[in-house]
Amino acid sequence: MGGYAIEARGLVKAYKSLVAVRGVSFSVRGGETFALLGPNGAGKTTTIKMLSTLTRPTSGDAIVGGYSVVREPLRVRRLIGLVPQELTADDEMTGWDNVIISARLYGLKGRKALEEARRVLEFMGLWEHRGRKVATYSGGMRRKLEIAMSLVHSPEILFLDEPTLGLDVQSRRHLWDHVRMLKREGVTIVLTTHYMEEAEQLSDRVAIIDHGRIVAEGSPGDLKSRVKGDKIYVELKDPTEAGRVLEALENVLGSDGVELGTVGQAIVVRVPDAGSVVPKIIRVISDYSVKSVNVVKPNLEEVFLELTGRSLREEPLDAPRFRMHMRRARWGH
Amino acid sequence: MRETLILLRREVVKWVNRRPVLLISIITPLFWILLFGKSFNLLRLLSSEDLPLPASIAEALRGYLSAYIASLFGTLDYFTYITSGILVVFSLFQSMFSGVSVVFDKRLGYLTRLLVAPIPRTSIFLAKVGGTLFRVTLLSLILLMIADVAGFEFKEGITVLDLAGAWLVVALVATGFTSVFASIAFHVDNQEVIFALANLVNLPLMFTSSAIFPVEQMPEWLQSVAVFNPLTYAADLVRYFLVGKEVASLAGSLAALVVFASAALAIGAYASVRGMERD
Repeated sequence: MGGYAIEARGLVKAYKSLVAVRGVSFSVRGGETFALLGPNGAGKTTTIKMLSTLTRPTSGDAIVGGYSVVREPLRVRRLIGLVPQELTADDEMTGWDNVIISARLYGLKGRKALEEARRVLEFMGLWEHRGRKVATYSGGMRRKLEIAMSLVHSPEILFLDEPTLGLDVQSRRHLWDHVRMLKREGVTIVLTTHYMEEAEQLSDRVAIIDHGRIVAEGSPGDLKSRVKGDKIYVELKDPTEAGRVLEALENVLGSDGVELGTVGQAIVVRVPDAGSVVPKIIRVISDYSVKSVNVVKPNLEEVFLELTGRSLREEPLDAPRFRMHMRRARWGH
Repeated sequence: MRETLILLRREVVKWVNRRPVLLISIITPLFWILLFGKSFNLLRLLSSEDLPLPASIAEALRGYLSAYIASLFGTLDYFTYITSGILVVFSLFQSMFSGVSVVFDKRLGYLTRLLVAPIPRTSIFLAKVGGTLFRVTLLSLILLMIADVAGFEFKEGITVLDLAGAWLVVALVATGFTSVFASIAFHVDNQEVIFALANLVNLPLMFTSSAIFPVEQMPEWLQSVAVFNPLTYAADLVRYFLVGKEVASLAGSLAALVVFASAALAIGAYASVRGMERD
């Protein structure tokens, strides 16, 4: 197979009314975990669908596990596992029945099928629940069952389309642990997500995708280094004072290599290193009535914002987004 | 083939698990044969005592009429007549349910799981056909056993071969119509479409065939429609095998049905796979 488990070359998918993917190329090494990060509608799912042979590219091709998704889809299907965004288990049947049908469809027979079904159910922590109808499973259990069904044939390459969408924090972290275990076993993993934390936590490399194109690619560290410096957000109780505060800040910080601006109602100060600047800012704004001060270290969210001018959540740059920053901000030292 | 059997097993397990549905599937045809079939009493129509005619002439008239009805219906018992027709009609109805289940497999995401598996896509379609075959085989058997108790007049000297013949006919109907409904279902995303379609075609198919009433007494324009209706051939054949009513051409009717079922199966398989690969 050489070094690459997946080589996507100029993948394009055009539907009647829109072009979902506009020429996506990337390579994933064997055993690597690769994340496609982008907002809803960016083309992540369509890309996964093309790589997993669910839909034919309008043009371009991808070599998955050594085979072309266009010319040899059946061979590709034998090597891959797909956990689609939608739930696919039959909820009228038990977890066990669902997994065993998957096992048999992938050619496992008799004892081997039973053993493998047991292995994946135990791996995902569902063994005790195998005899229950899937309809009685919780959201987290259903996700795990989806993964179990996709792993029963020990695929070399696993596609996870928004694996933790809609899960609570605990289930999400639990699922991450499973993904890490699979990585340790040498499975090549491609996942899509619009949670930057998920991409940062799980992946060796990230491709940021927007409007059907990859706008940046690299390790989470690489990408974060593209955002120059930290950002300090200052929110005033009276937004009409922003002009005056900006002026005052400019006078004090003008020579420190800072950039000043506003994002929605907040003032944003971009600096190489927040630590030395925050005290000066505090001094300036202490004359005004301040709602909050936040220091944001570079993260993938900021990288995305930088590259596309939009947030991953596609919310306008106003109060809701600002609140999100407050939640995610890491305070300076 | 292996994949088809794996998926067929799922169809069967799911169906058997749905006890209420199972019960309703049996009760509905029973309503038809017991309520409708028993209420239309051909013999009673003939047994009028006060014909204003000399006794000998009345007797001759009754004899003539019953012979005529027997030649038309193949029996003097309408219950027997309609039961053999209902076997065919419910095979059509069960075929529609397979179409609906295709739409649900799509909507509930199950189809995605199958489409990414390394299996021939025709096996997904064939499992639906097999599912209908399984259901109609079991339901027909139960229906016939109940009908037997309720007074179904099997032809004299009926053999296992006759029963097998009747089963084959019902199976051909199920194969043909499941192919039609399933292949359409693979192209639509809404089960309402299948219900609407079934409502549109099921009644006309039923009434333009010999399932409920003999074709011979229909107006000519209706007869010319009935000739193209697979259910006509099917109902005639089931009646031939179970009741002993003559058919004009046994081989011809069987051939017509085989052609219908195999053409539908081939086109259905092709169209279904196309539907699965639709974006």
